[in-house]
Amino acid sequence: MQIETALLIGVMFACATYLILQTSFVKILYGFVILSNAANLLVLTASGNPNGKQAPIVLGEGALMADPLPQALILTAIVIGFGMIAYLVLLLYRMFLDQRTTNAAELYAETEEKTG
Amino acid sequence: MNWTILPVAVPLLTALITIFWGRPGGARRAFVALSAGAQLVLALVMTVWSYQGETFLLVAGNWSAPFGIALVLDLLGTIMVSLSSLVAFVAILYGFNETSPRIAHPLRLPLMQFLVAGINLCFCTGDLFNLFVGFEVMLISSYSLLTLEADDWDIKHAFPYVAINLVGSTFFICAAGLAYSLFGTLNFADIAMRAGELSGDPRMTALALLMLLVFGIKAGLFPLYYWLPNSYPTLPTPLAALYSGMLTKVGVYVLVRMFGTVLPHDLHGIHTLMAWMAGATMIFGVLGAISRNFIRGILSYHILSQIGFMVLAIGFFTPFSFAACIFYVMHHIVVKSSLFLIGGVAGFLNRTDDLDRAGHLWKHAPWLGVMFLFQALSLAGLPPLSGFWGKYAIVMVGLEKGEFALVGVSIVASILTLFSMLKIWNGAFWGGNEKTQVHLQDQRWVRMSWCVAILTGISLVIGLGAELFMQVAIEAAERALDREGYARIVFSYLGKGSEL
Repeated sequence: MQIETALLIGVMFACATYLILQTSFVKILYGFVILSNAANLLVLTASGNPNGKQAPIVLGEGALMADPLPQALILTAIVIGFGMIAYLVLLLYRMFLDQRTTNAAELYAETEEKTG
Repeated sequence: MNWTILPVAVPLLTALITIFWGRPGGARRAFVALSAGAQLVLALVMTVWSYQGETFLLVAGNWSAPFGIALVLDLLGTIMVSLSSLVAFVAILYGFNETSPRIAHPLRLPLMQFLVAGINLCFCTGDLFNLFVGFEVMLISSYSLLTLEADDWDIKHAFPYVAINLVGSTFFICAAGLAYSLFGTLNFADIAMRAGELSGDPRMTALALLMLLVFGIKAGLFPLYYWLPNSYPTLPTPLAALYSGMLTKVGVYVLVRMFGTVLPHDLHGIHTLMAWMAGATMIFGVLGAISRNFIRGILSYHILSQIGFMVLAIGFFTPFSFAACIFYVMHHIVVKSSLFLIGGVAGFLNRTDDLDRAGHLWKHAPWLGVMFLFQALSLAGLPPLSGFWGKYAIVMVGLEKGEFALVGVSIVASILTLFSMLKIWNGAFWGGNEKTQVHLQDQRWVRMSWCVAILTGISLVIGLGAELFMQVAIEAAERALDREGYARIVFSYLGKGSEL
């Protein structure tokens, strides 16, 4: 279980890196969405191997429970990540409205200096 | 009444009240100024108390650490909170004098207070995940402020800032997850106690490297700094002063906290790496500053070069070098913010901050020139100004440790700093051609200069009373490096769960 999750996280990080390095705004956006999910999944694995463990509800004594804390952490991280993504969507849309392009390479092609 | 939460709660409440105030105007401004002033007084009182030996501790929900989320304010934390309150207070006053309530953006004040709340949460927290939350509160406010009054050019330069910080936040979550799986806790004091068992473990080194990456991005260390010098100049002057003073220094503070208090002290390889990264930051930062030809651009690159000095002091890793780092942070926050404000007044008078088109300010506004000279020479490190003492202490530690190459780099960087400051002096104050106009008829610049004078005065006090400030810094460094003492204080609170 842990090995498969680790592989999945690796693939997701690779995909996210590839997408963020593209020039299209939409691909960059999806890159960040995948990146934040990959990080959340990584935090989930911090609770250890869940096989043979019960849900973290205290019923009787002696039962082995899954660690609930990483899930609480992810919940916070998801909410924050959601806010960040919402902001990023607006920022990219504003850039599209200003510059009339969704190509980042075109947008940052000229390197003039801002003065005054 | 527990005081620990106040540096976070007061700006947060102020921000919320200001949002719902309704019509922006004089009354709203007076309320925010009053609140910012109260925050400053509160922070100073807490600093004095903690210098006398008090450590502020709040454990959420009466659950004793490590079960409850702990907020801890030791001397280092209260010093940082005082500095952030001071810079925010002056930036708010400057903003009031620069723009009339009719044209000021109604969301700027609440967002500034949210930003201060986020910054203070980073200084208060005693928990890695809560630190992440503080970072995110700070970052999302800073994104919004960066793009609030931006034109299409500014938006374009805001995107790299947002993108690199989103990546940084992601790595931060990963670091928190790894720390949890490694230690089984996120409480700083608990990690400090358990980290000893993992001494020499490669996973420990990996975690420390990841943290250096995350907070290095935030502090603007080489080679992670390229987002900073192009995004800061797009900000309005008071915000640029707040950002340049505080945001990168949050990264430096967390590096001190992490490597001093939380992680074990035997990570020698990473300390050396940090010192060399700092050396590279100093040189590349100052070379970037020389290459620029407008005031805010030069000053933005200088933030980096100064960050190099602070992180170099952390990298030397002796109690005295930590004290030097803390002293340097105190000096730098005041000087850097005031330089940005002076640059703002200069740009206001010349209607440009392009050094080819500005000029003649010395003739028309000599006091502004005097303040600029004090602060610029302090930044370069001339005695008896505050920058000299910080650099002197860092160079002394470097010579004692035999790091001659790094000491040489820092001295070269100081000389180049002086050179680039002279560039501003020659361009904006001394020089100028017949086409340059100085717009003195608009009297706002006088009041704006008075706001700068507050910071200049404090910077002079730090320079002339360096012994007192150095003593405070030494005390703060000793307590920050005392991992057992920190843990003892956090675990001293006995609430629910303490019998486990």
